Amino acid sequence: MLRQTEEAEFKERRARAGAMAALVLIALLVLVARRPPPTLLPAERQTVETEKPQVCVHTLLENEVEEESILWSLELARELGASEIVQFFPWAYVEREPGRYSWTLADRIVRHAEMQGLGVIARLGLVPDWARDGKTETLNYLTEESFPAFAAYAAAFAERYAGSVDHLIIWNEPNLNFEWGYQPADPARYGRLLRASYGPIKRANPGAVVMAGALAPTLEARGGGAGLNELEFLQDLYDLGAAAFFDALAIHSYGFRQPPEAEPAPDRLNFRRSELLREIMAANGDGHKPATITESGWNDHPRWTQAVRPSQRSAYTVRAFEFAEKNWPWLENLCIWALRYPADVYSYPDNFTLVSADFVEKPIYFALQDYARGRARRQSPWLPPPRAGR
Amino acid sequence: MNPQLRVLRALTLTLPLLVLAAGILRHYQPPDPAIAFAAGEIVIGVDGSFPPFAYDDGGELRGLDIDLGLALAREIGLPARFVSISFNGLYDALISGKVDLLISALRVEPARRDDARYTQAYYDNGLVLVSARGAPLDADALSGTRIAYEYASSADSQIRAWERDGARIEKLPYELPAYSLDALRFGQADGALTDATTFRLYKREQSEWQPEIRYVTHDPYAIALRRDRADAWKLVESAVSALKESGELAKIVAAWL
Repeated sequence: MLRQTEEAEFKERRARAGAMAALVLIALLVLVARRPPPTLLPAERQTVETEKPQVCVHTLLENEVEEESILWSLELARELGASEIVQFFPWAYVEREPGRYSWTLADRIVRHAEMQGLGVIARLGLVPDWARDGKTETLNYLTEESFPAFAAYAAAFAERYAGSVDHLIIWNEPNLNFEWGYQPADPARYGRLLRASYGPIKRANPGAVVMAGALAPTLEARGGGAGLNELEFLQDLYDLGAAAFFDALAIHSYGFRQPPEAEPAPDRLNFRRSELLREIMAANGDGHKPATITESGWNDHPRWTQAVRPSQRSAYTVRAFEFAEKNWPWLENLCIWALRYPADVYSYPDNFTLVSADFVEKPIYFALQDYARGRARRQSPWLPPPRAGR
Repeated sequence: MNPQLRVLRALTLTLPLLVLAAGILRHYQPPDPAIAFAAGEIVIGVDGSFPPFAYDDGGELRGLDIDLGLALAREIGLPARFVSISFNGLYDALISGKVDLLISALRVEPARRDDARYTQAYYDNGLVLVSARGAPLDADALSGTRIAYEYASSADSQIRAWERDGARIEKLPYELPAYSLDALRFGQADGALTDATTFRLYKREQSEWQPEIRYVTHDPYAIALRRDRADAWKLVESAVSALKESGELAKIVAAWL
């Protein structure tokens, strides 16, 4: 009888110990699962070595799957001698549900950029499903009713990254119907978006620089099917009193097939078209505000109608920096579109990049690096054109 | 058995079969173009800055993709209307319903398949390994050969991949892809690696030159439609098949490339 009781007690103790061990194991598993994944941040903050701090590149890190790709891209930007990057932080990625922000990706990008010693100019846009009216599927469609929600996102961004990311571009190319959700480009509505965003951003981060524009270079006439040229769009913004709601202008200025020194004209798209925008700023009493070219460059696809040769692209790009440094004291940074795409699109846009999707530096990367770091220009990496009979 | 019961029993047995047969017939019947393209026309999005596929010729769009769009529309029995869109806006125009389909030298992109549905390929712009007549090259045995290519292009990436796999290639990088074909034609290279379109355009200029070519990668160009436009997709897919079978697609490609 006694033995039976002891056996029963032993079994009970064993069962309890087993249950306890299982609980400990589960707790350990939960702890391991909840531990943050190992980060690839460098141990020490890096420094950009550059003699030309206005050199800047536009990155596209928002669609990177692997953290390594973010790290390698930003290392390449630093090694290029760029002091700043322009990076898109899509609202639709951060606020998938109203009021619930997920900053994981944005944190990762900002922290990696900081550790590489790079400044960040943030471009904000792309509308979450819940903030659209349900009538259209384009992610660029923002109704007026959702302006406060966008402003709240912009303010939350400004607050979170105050001191790290102080330059915020409101929207991208709002003078193109496509970028304005397939609605006619509308300076008045864009002006109201600036107005809705400006106060909340400044309250969240008084040091923030709210950048308007990022207007697309286009010759579209008023009422045109694709948008409105950026010169009239900017003048309209001033006429509507929007000057009070931005601190700096973001400019998109591509060279297309012309050299960087080509004279600007309202009916011509080229690099110096920026000067026409600058004249409008000055004429409207805004000459004291700085500007940044947040997209620029040349394309060297062998078949695109607006492309130049790779050697021209390198030379034009370096000369564009030289021209801007000499002639445009109002320009803070000149940012090249684009450092690298996360994946090839297998068409001419791939030839806007400085580095291929598989991280191979193109000749223009080295040309720009030599310029930024004050080195003698190295030889072209290609052979001279073949000649018959050699 | 009661005759009424007999009829009821027959109906019970045959009705599901009839419904099934109707479903099968409907599935295999071509959709009605007037319903699939309710506007009575086929609106085609195209980037008109990319010859020879589509380009602006004095205000008129011309090119391989334009001819293909016209032929497809004829096959379906509706007029075609082209809308010129910059490359970055193509898929957004499709998804937002601004256009019915995209014909714009677009490679099939698996990442787009949540939104877009592609037809069968109408052209392959993969990389081709070109070599002299009678001296075909094997992509798996390139060690010791001199290969010309465009620096920093997809051909460059492919050659780097071969090197990672152990091939010891004598690399001849050029600024332009056409130079790599020049190098081969002048006997300064054993092979040239370039995309099929570059090769075809070059070959048109050098009609007497008869090299060997082998595709080493595939880069299929296809027509993209919205994923939820199943009937429209069926019509376009059938039309592409018909153009292939009749030889008209080959004629269109040959006219431009």
